[in-house]
Amino acid sequence: MSETLQDVQLWILTAVLLLGAGTKAVDRTAQGPAVLLPVPLRRPFTVAHAAVEAGLAAGLLFCSGGAAYAVRGATAVLFAVGLVALVRLRQRDPEMGCGCFGGLSTEPIGWRALTRSGLFLAAAVATFGLPHSGWAALVHATPWHGVLCAAEVAVVAVLSPELREAVVRLRSPVPCELREVSRKQMVRRLHASREWHKQRPLLASPEPVDTWRHGCWWFARFAGQEGDREFSVVFAVEVGRRRPDVRSLVVEPPAE
Amino acid sequence: MAADRTGYIHDRRRLTAALLGPEAAPDPHPAPAHVVRGTLTDISPHMLGLATPEGERRFILTPQTTFWYGGECAPRELRPGQDVLLRCTPGAELVVERVWADLARATGVITAVDGDTVTVATGHDRAPVTAVIPYRASGRMRVRHPRLEPGYLFDAVGVRDGDTVRALIPATTQPPYPVVETPRRPPQHRSSAQVAGIASWYDPVRGQDTDTDPDGMLMGVAYPALDRTGDCGPACDRATPCAPLPLLSLGATVRVVNECTRVFAVLPVVACGAAASHFCDRCTVCDAPASGRIAELTLAAFVALGGQPESGCWSATLTVGGL
Repeated sequence: MSETLQDVQLWILTAVLLLGAGTKAVDRTAQGPAVLLPVPLRRPFTVAHAAVEAGLAAGLLFCSGGAAYAVRGATAVLFAVGLVALVRLRQRDPEMGCGCFGGLSTEPIGWRALTRSGLFLAAAVATFGLPHSGWAALVHATPWHGVLCAAEVAVVAVLSPELREAVVRLRSPVPCELREVSRKQMVRRLHASREWHKQRPLLASPEPVDTWRHGCWWFARFAGQEGDREFSVVFAVEVGRRRPDVRSLVVEPPAE
Repeated sequence: MAADRTGYIHDRRRLTAALLGPEAAPDPHPAPAHVVRGTLTDISPHMLGLATPEGERRFILTPQTTFWYGGECAPRELRPGQDVLLRCTPGAELVVERVWADLARATGVITAVDGDTVTVATGHDRAPVTAVIPYRASGRMRVRHPRLEPGYLFDAVGVRDGDTVRALIPATTQPPYPVVETPRRPPQHRSSAQVAGIASWYDPVRGQDTDTDPDGMLMGVAYPALDRTGDCGPACDRATPCAPLPLLSLGATVRVVNECTRVFAVLPVVACGAAASHFCDRCTVCDAPASGRIAELTLAAFVALGGQPESGCWSATLTVGGL
């Protein structure tokens, strides 16, 4: 029973560290303990923090023997330092989120974040005596593992305000008129459209001469030529939909 | 190449309207006749002469005409050669209601402080401004700007004094943290074509050559949510504004309503409002609850919509069509 509980801690810690690394890599703006550092160091610290978490997650899953001790010790140190940093951050800036899961951790640091951090520290310490790796435990998993894992996931979920934030974001994503998009992404969507293929023979060059944004629409203007006649072809591509509405227009230059 | 780009930007509104409908890009309103800017040529108790890009013009002063030059003042305190902005009585465009002389403003992030001199970065597309805080204004400036240190926000209205701005009236209450430590704005999940907030002003010509440069009377807005991938460019230093403003590019037109006077105008986006994007303040002029700067109007547009430049702001509603 005790070993089953230790196995489950390995999986939970691996999943938490991977999620933490992933969310920090997606949103690299400095949050949580990173704001205790001088400004130039915050972003590199966030990237390094994500890399360390990913490395420890891999170590917990695959290392056994002496290497496993080192990885589990490092994981415990990471959570211990994290807990101290959260307490310090809470004193300095009570409105600040913990940044544990990147941009999802927006709720001010409270008893839930601190309890969760303490729980993970205890989980890391509990794995010290285990001889095998997380992967080996996974291969030989029993129904008891499943029950304990589900119970611990439920506890962690109760202690995680990020879940609510994630649900809110999934249900109501950033409205299209506020969403930042890259030019490359919009050009790709334009090239995949029927309008592009219809107007393509008219274009003098595939590079737009002007691009601009109007709320939910991204516009690209191309130089067009047919014989001696010169004109412009303008495309409007909708932002935010997987299959965007694309409109096009051939515009003659204004009469002199 | 630059002329090409200007031409393309000029065409954007027409092309947007052609593809999304006329309500997406309404025609901008022309400069109103009752707001005039130029260089003062002469002033007497009853007449005021102004050199404007359209030529010499003369206006009538009445006992009700008020004057501002760093504060309420008498007409005899104005001198020929000063940059002067007039608001005339609507319907009687030769009769002056109020006169502002050498208006100037410093809005942005403090980059250096040397005694009573503050250097302010006003955005990636504008030159930095040097503001000098005279002793008589230092008390009220300190109340609203407790941290005159690099990295903190600064916004003050004053008068132009050569290449510097004499900062006399604070135009914001400075946040207690530097710009880089501004709390992250929570992601917006709701939006609307109509956004409430506050409108401030900037001077596109910085008080220079107002007798010859028509941009002194430019009617437009510097927009704090200019599209980063296009016009804002690689040096873009705008922040995500705290009001949910739709992303736009130069050449778009927006409808701006002064909620204090209920006067409105359709204005083109003519510049990036990078400095304004950092401010999430409120305007005390007519006590509206909305916060965040949604538009930085050109000085002429701000006054044309009924604003008092010395108060720095008014509550505004901004509408973008065709979203």
